[in-house]
Amino acid sequence: MIVVLLPLLFAVLQFGDAFHRWLAQDAATAHAARYAAELGGDAPEVRALLAESLRDAGIDPERARVEVVPARVGWREPIRVSVRTDHTIAIPFALTTVIPLRSSAVARGELAR
Amino acid sequence: MRLLADEGGTLALTTVVLLPLVLVTLVGVLELGAVRVVAERARLAADLATVTAVNDQDDAYLARRGRLRLAPEAEDVARGSFAANLEPLAGWLASSPSAVAASADVAVFRDGGERDPRTGRRYREPTVRLTAELPVLTPAFALLLARPVTEVRILSTSSAR
Repeated sequence: MIVVLLPLLFAVLQFGDAFHRWLAQDAATAHAARYAAELGGDAPEVRALLAESLRDAGIDPERARVEVVPARVGWREPIRVSVRTDHTIAIPFALTTVIPLRSSAVARGELAR
Repeated sequence: MRLLADEGGTLALTTVVLLPLVLVTLVGVLELGAVRVVAERARLAADLATVTAVNDQDDAYLARRGRLRLAPEAEDVARGSFAANLEPLAGWLASSPSAVAASADVAVFRDGGERDPRTGRRYREPTVRLTAELPVLTPAFALLLARPVTEVRILSTSSAR
């Protein structure tokens, strides 16, 4: 019985944790995209905000792959921020695997150059 | 020994009877969690869309009158931004992101003081409101409840300040 129930319990906990992190990462990415749009592109401030938001969500920002494309935008030009992290799912007696959590958000440049 | 054998049999029977119930509960919980994640991500996309559209101000009007007023293309901006930010969710939806964005109810209140007939709210500042029905694919619910698609309604409102 324990061989059946323990993996099920862990599956609920592990996937719940993965969903939670994914949502937090999405929210952080959306905020970063808005901030990048305000600043007119990729900037250390954008990366710092993103790192802080990820850290608050329990995600190590050092392990996140972040892309801001294009690096510099003008007024009303689209800018995309993409974040990818790897999350480990470990379920006793069943499986241990790594799933990629991908987030991206598109905003429009708000800086008239 | 006889007692142990009896207990073992009871335990095995309990496991066999309960296992389907536990499995169905687990699958249902995971599917519900996935729907909540998609709904929340779509809400973020809607928020980004309305904020982006509200930032699209009528520059000539602002220069002439010194007051904020939404640009005529604010609705298109909201739909375009919504579709672009729904793109990562394409695999979870029964319709394409552009179709969902096209069918969304986007209301643009260019000047302040207007009343939204849908929500009944009066907006003091220029506002963009987006309501959308999101058709989320739910394969597990299709097996359990004959419900392959679950509709999720999202609402987002942004006003200029």
